[in-house]
Amino acid sequence: MSGVSDYFSLMFTVVLLSLVVNIGIALYGIFIKPSLVKKFIALTIFSDSINSFAIALGFRRVTGSYPGVAVLSDVPRGVEELRHFSTASVDPLPQALVLTAIVIGLAVYMFLTGLIMLYYRHYGTTRVDAARGGSRE
Amino acid sequence: MKARELLIAISIALMVLLLAYVIELGGLGPLAPYALRDIARAYLEYVYNPWNVTASSMALEAVTAIVWDYRGLDTYFETSVLFVAIVGVATLYRGYRELRGLGGVGLSEIVKTSTRVLIPLILVAGASIAIHGHLTPGGGFQGGSFMAVLMVLLVVVFSLDYAFEKGLTSSRLLAIRSAGLVGILLTSVALLIAGVVAGAGAYVFQNMAREGSDLSMPSWFLDRPLGGTLFLFNVFESLAVVSGLTLTFIVLALRKEEVDQALATGEWCE
Repeated sequence: MSGVSDYFSLMFTVVLLSLVVNIGIALYGIFIKPSLVKKFIALTIFSDSINSFAIALGFRRVTGSYPGVAVLSDVPRGVEELRHFSTASVDPLPQALVLTAIVIGLAVYMFLTGLIMLYYRHYGTTRVDAARGGSRE
Repeated sequence: MKARELLIAISIALMVLLLAYVIELGGLGPLAPYALRDIARAYLEYVYNPWNVTASSMALEAVTAIVWDYRGLDTYFETSVLFVAIVGVATLYRGYRELRGLGGVGLSEIVKTSTRVLIPLILVAGASIAIHGHLTPGGGFQGGSFMAVLMVLLVVVFSLDYAFEKGLTSSRLLAIRSAGLVGILLTSVALLIAGVVAGAGAYVFQNMAREGSDLSMPSWFLDRPLGGTLFLFNVFESLAVVSGLTLTFIVLALRKEEVDQALATGEWCE
């Protein structure tokens, strides 16, 4: 049992750390890529990685079983059922916060898309250098 | 130029390493713990608790209860951010005209026919996600985005001309969006108004009876839990989201002839 548990902890940490690496790569894309569209794509990857990370932080383990979603499948008939529900369900708070983050992210993306399209119509390119009237070299 | 890129790459790699080290040391607490955090256990035990109504939201789904009841004010401002972003996009393209008869024909007849089959399915699935938001996973935003996909399909498959013909004009969509936001606002102060009229104590964003206020939204509808304000919030939010996202997509999908004048008169144009 202990071996399985250790293996689970290791793999869970690997998933979390790979998300951190993903965040770093997305940040690199935002800083380095000259095209606004590619910066935008990197930004979406950045925020999706952070959201997945927050969701993973809300995960918990249940002895001998898998944790359930934070939804009561039936109307509880007693306080004991609620106790049992709270011992078998994952943390709902990160999910609620990530839902908020997704909505606000969507609002930002829509505005950015409009801006980038206007930029392209004005300069004929999506490279950030165009606004300075030349390349950076 | 190359040195600058190298510097950025090294600093980001350093950031990743330090973050990984902090996580490995346990800076975020125990990962995947067996014991739930206290606040999460409180939310789970009080989400539907008829034996302690003053701390309960009487909904079966914990995430919707947190989003629209326990943290309702946060979500109200989040909806406002979405609204402001939509207004921002419409302002960027200010002065655009919606022209009919530009000759948009849409995609082929095969795609159109299969889309006609899909339309009622998407509409029903989206509405069910939004209306059952307090019972099953989902909610107003998810259902609204689901239905917005249908509108995007309409514009892409049947052309923008068809959408304008069917009444999907931006002023009408903005009106529906504002009506949804006003609905959310009215729902949040409904019990406060009732309390002022009846001379009893009440709070903003009050759902069930709380300490110092016996007023309560209905918690049951026929044989189903209703969650009080949660149901109303979900319905209004889905209305607001579906019209808002459709409006943004229509503005972003405008043809060259429709935005040329707007771009030519903008003061930012050199």
